[in-house]
Amino acid sequence: MSVNRKWRYAPQYLAIAPFFVLFAVFGVYPILYSLWLSLQRWNGVSPMKFVGLENFRFLLTDTAFWDSIGNTLIIWVMSTVPMLVLSMLVALGLNSSVRHKGFLRVAYFLPNVTSIVAMSLVFGSFFSNEFGVLNWFLSLIGVDPVQWLGDPWAIRIAISLMIIWRWTGYNAIILLAGLQALPQDVFEAAELDGAGPVQTFFRVTLPLLRPVLLFSVVMSAIGGLQIFTESQILLGNRGGPEGAGMTMVLYFYNTAFADNDFGYGAAIAWGIFVVVVLFSILNWRLVQRPPRLKGDVR
Amino acid sequence: MTLTRRRFLAGTAAVAATAFGAGACSSPTTANPGRLTLWYSTNGVSEKVLGEAVRRFPAQKLTPSKISGELNQRLLAALSGEAYLPDITMLGDGISTYFSATDRFADLNALGAAQDEKNYLPWKWQAGRSPDGFQLGFPIDIGPAALYYRHDLFAEAGLPSEPDAVAQALSTWDDYFEFGMRVKEKLPGRYLITDTKMVFTYSLAQERQKYLDRQNRYLADQSQVRRAWDRAVRAFQMGLTAGYAGSAGGEGVDRLAAWNNGKEVAFVNASWITGNLKQSAPGTSGRWHVCRAPGGPGNQGGSFLAITKYCPDPQGAYEIVKWLLSPENLAAAYLELGLFPSSPAAFDDPRVQAPEEFFGGQTTIEVFGKIAEEVQPVYFSPYDISISDTYTDELTNVESAGKDPERAWEDANTAVERLLRRQGVLA
Repeated sequence: MSVNRKWRYAPQYLAIAPFFVLFAVFGVYPILYSLWLSLQRWNGVSPMKFVGLENFRFLLTDTAFWDSIGNTLIIWVMSTVPMLVLSMLVALGLNSSVRHKGFLRVAYFLPNVTSIVAMSLVFGSFFSNEFGVLNWFLSLIGVDPVQWLGDPWAIRIAISLMIIWRWTGYNAIILLAGLQALPQDVFEAAELDGAGPVQTFFRVTLPLLRPVLLFSVVMSAIGGLQIFTESQILLGNRGGPEGAGMTMVLYFYNTAFADNDFGYGAAIAWGIFVVVVLFSILNWRLVQRPPRLKGDVR
Repeated sequence: MTLTRRRFLAGTAAVAATAFGAGACSSPTTANPGRLTLWYSTNGVSEKVLGEAVRRFPAQKLTPSKISGELNQRLLAALSGEAYLPDITMLGDGISTYFSATDRFADLNALGAAQDEKNYLPWKWQAGRSPDGFQLGFPIDIGPAALYYRHDLFAEAGLPSEPDAVAQALSTWDDYFEFGMRVKEKLPGRYLITDTKMVFTYSLAQERQKYLDRQNRYLADQSQVRRAWDRAVRAFQMGLTAGYAGSAGGEGVDRLAAWNNGKEVAFVNASWITGNLKQSAPGTSGRWHVCRAPGGPGNQGGSFLAITKYCPDPQGAYEIVKWLLSPENLAAAYLELGLFPSSPAAFDDPRVQAPEEFFGGQTTIEVFGKIAEEVQPVYFSPYDISISDTYTDELTNVESAGKDPERAWEDANTAVERLLRRQGVLA
């Protein structure tokens, strides 16, 4: 009887097994292995050498790693803030009565599904110092050419522009969906009370859109902490002058796969993990906080 | 039997479990059991010659497999897993990484390589051998460095323009810099130094030693590095660098454009750039010449073929490698892809001796061949690429971010020491 009971749910367990088996093989095992690897010195072919916490001790004093965290955060802020403002404007535009709505939505979303590598190559020509399209355009309006891929801040701007270009449309579509789900009666009430469009936007639309905005912020934080391809294609594995484009993930990639230093690479990956955890806690607290509404519109 | 939901679930799970079990139990050691798999990277080996080898060695069932992306990463992964390994594989100039794992490869000397050694450049042959004499790599191509210059523009400026005269006038880097000042004066806005990285890289390539000795010990005397560094900084301070630094690989749009519009009138580079130059600046055909580089002969880049120990027929594999990389086939690969032959016998091949239209009727193999024969044997350690990158990163900081050269030098040295300490080279 008890055997029968034990096996009663076996088919159900079997049915959900594929996910757990795959997750164990491709998720749990690599995670545990990378933890083990971070305690080794290993170039990929020679036998591993156990070095204890040496790699982590090294990581804490590694200015390149701290710089890469700084770069990642700077690029994240530089890209996310303008991107969200732009997305909001695009979403509001699409939400008002314009023609060819369907076409415009697809057009705005298109950058998001374009291959990043192809895009980075195009942007490489776009930002090129002397013969780039952007500098040519600047010269037309009488601005001196900028060393887009030579100056540390110009590099960060260039990468941010690429991210903005890629994600504005995506977030605009999300915000648009949010806008369309808002109850119309609130807006009618606001209009009756004599609120202007600006007032309506800041007092009614934005507070109501808060959950959607938070979703966008969280998603862009997840993406922002993983910035890699744009930097790598535009500037190579080393992040360009002053390592301005050296993000956390690029630093990890460069150490593990260009320097063949897999032990230290694994330690960097765990360093990135800690940063991501801290950010997740921050995000979580942001989302958990009850909405602070001045006048409850409902 | 009716199909109930429970039976359906149980059945599906059973099928999935069987499939999973069967798949997991055996993965082959080599990529194609029963065949000889050869891994090569894009344009690393002539595909025409490979195709001929497939027909020529039917018994071995040669299966060439082009690895797009990083071949080295694929090889490391396959070696770690001891599965899906190639029988023959290409290795780049980071071949010394594998000197610590020669037990995973076949010693070519045991397969008769000692008799073939004489046909290849001694320094290149030696570069494929581990410090304890294990012949790991069979040479494919090399990268002798020469001076590429626009003879039409040199002549226009009233400067020497014939290869011998230019080589004589520019025998040292100092000559080159002075010459650069004259070019700057007579042809304003034109450059003959791409960036500081070019000077550092090729100056160091001419030295007898780089950073580490063959036992992977950091050299006590790093004066050659300082020499290359000082030269690079000097070129920058004299205002001779075009400053294309920063963009990936130094071969960004700016440099290609500079080839086309004649802004870059000369540069020092290994022979493998010829293909890029021809492809990117077809309009300048006939206006280029090459001659010996300032500072002396040097080599940058090149690759090898190696046989893994997992290969069931190493002798057969060796016969294929030997044929693929015979002087005649190296000459064919040079004509097809610009892979510079590692065998002097290939330099005399009538096909490569033909005058080249792109280089104004010059036979460039004469120039490159002579350089190739004079190159000094130099040890390229597993850390060389990372160390060089560290120095050139800092040079880029000097060049495009205005960093103080002395501070940059100190920062580079600190970074190199940290890198080597982490890798266990320095205590």
